[in-house]
Amino acid sequence: MLSPFRVLHPTTVAEASAELARLGDEAVVYAGGAELLLLMRNGLIKPDYLVNIKRIPELDGISVEDGEVRIGTAVTHRRMETDPVVRIRLPALTEAERHVGNIRVRNQGTLGGNLCFADPHADPGTALLVYDATVELWGPSGGRRLPLQQFLVGTYDTALEPGELLTEVRVPPLAEGWRAAFLRIERFYRPTANVAAAVSIKDGQLEGVRLAAGCVGPNAMRLLELEDQVRGSTITEAVALVRESKPYLTEKLEPVGDVLGSAPYKVHITSVLLTRALEQVVARARGTAHD
Amino acid sequence: MIDPERGTRTRETTYIAITVNGTRWQGDAPVEEVLLDLLRSRIGLTGTKRGCESEVCGACTVLVDGAPISSCNYLAFEADGKAVTTVEGLARGDELHPLQEGFIRNVAAQCGYCTPGQLMAAKALLEENPTPSYGDIAHWLTGNICRCGCYPAIASAILEVVDETKA
Repeated sequence: MLSPFRVLHPTTVAEASAELARLGDEAVVYAGGAELLLLMRNGLIKPDYLVNIKRIPELDGISVEDGEVRIGTAVTHRRMETDPVVRIRLPALTEAERHVGNIRVRNQGTLGGNLCFADPHADPGTALLVYDATVELWGPSGGRRLPLQQFLVGTYDTALEPGELLTEVRVPPLAEGWRAAFLRIERFYRPTANVAAAVSIKDGQLEGVRLAAGCVGPNAMRLLELEDQVRGSTITEAVALVRESKPYLTEKLEPVGDVLGSAPYKVHITSVLLTRALEQVVARARGTAHD
Repeated sequence: MIDPERGTRTRETTYIAITVNGTRWQGDAPVEEVLLDLLRSRIGLTGTKRGCESEVCGACTVLVDGAPISSCNYLAFEADGKAVTTVEGLARGDELHPLQEGFIRNVAAQCGYCTPGQLMAAKALLEENPTPSYGDIAHWLTGNICRCGCYPAIASAILEVVDETKA
C-alpha cells in the first residue's frame, strides 16, 4: 500500500514549475507513474505531493515543427510505438519503443518519465541519441534547451535543476540517405544491452556515422570517438574496428556488472550488437533490405 | 489507510465515477488507492489477482478504456470517467467469452493464478489486431508471466479464437 500524499493538478507548465519550486523536496513530478509508484511502494521515496502534469495540454502531443519531431513529455511509450509520424521519421525510436517494458508499462509510462527517472536500463534514450535529440526544460528562471547527452548525467541522475520540468523532446529526423537501426537484448524482462546506429553511405564507404550504446554503464552514451574511427571505412573495415573496440567501450561506457551480466559480458554483447546494427543499416542504405 | 510514520489516515480523497464491467461505481477514493485495491477490496471483484506489484507479472491486468494496464500500479482516481473491464466482465451471463472457452479447451492453465490477466491481455490484443500471428501473440503477452509454463496452450487458445472469428 502506498503512503498517503496529496495530488496537485496544474494546467500550465509555469504553474507546475512554480509548485515544484515552492515545495522543493516534498514534491515529485507525476506523469504515468510507471516508475514513480514503484519507488513509493517500496518506500524508497515518500513525497508529500505528486504534481500531476497530465492535465497540461501542450505536454501530451506529437507534432512536426521546423522539420523536427516534437514529442511532449507526457506522451506514452505506446503512443510513440504506434504513431505514424514517429514510425516514418524516427524508425529506430519506434523499434526501441516496441520493446519498452511490456504492453501495460507502455500504456502507462511516458517519455519524459523514462528520461527523467534515468534508469540505466532503458531503451528510448539510446535511440534518441543517434537522432541528436534535444530536451526542452522549463524552470523558475525560464526555459533552456540541452542536447540529450548533456541531460543524461549518470545513474538515476539528470541535469534537471530544482523546480525544473522536462517539457518536450525535439528530434531532427536523419537527412536524406541516412538509415538507422536499434537493437537490444534482454534478460529477466530488463534491457541488458542496447545499441543504435545511423549511417549514410557514399561510394561504398560510411560517410556519416552515429553510434550509441546503453544499459551497460550509468547512462546511454554516443560513441563519438568510435564514430570518428569508423567514418570513411567500408562496412567490412567498420565491423573489424568495432570488434577491436572493447577496450574503448570499457573506458567509455563504465560497464557495471549486475544480475543481468558481468561487465566484460555486457561490453562483448555491446560490440556484437554494434556490428549487427551497422550491417543492418548499411544493407538498408544500399536498398538491399526493407526498412 | 494508516501511515505508520505519520500516524495519519489518508490525506486526500477524490470523488470518482467509473464504469466497471458496464456497471457504474461512484464514490470517494483515497488518492493513494490503486485500482487493484478498489476492485478487489471495495467493489468485491476478486478475479483480478495481486502478483508482483511491480508491473512485471501481469496477474493484475485489467482494461481501462480498452487499454491493458497493471492495476497494482495504477492510481484509482486516474480511472475517473473511464470504463474498466475485469475478467468478471468477459462472460455474458452463463455464456463464456470465446477466449475463456478456448483457454478451457486447450487447458491453458495449471494453477490458474495468471489466467485472468492472460485473458484480459488477450482480449486487448484481439481488439487491436483481430488476426495476430503466433509471433504477435508472443510479443504482446511478453509481460504476462505463467510460471506453470502454459504459454503454448495459451497461444493455441488465442489462435483458435482467431480462426473462429475468421470462419
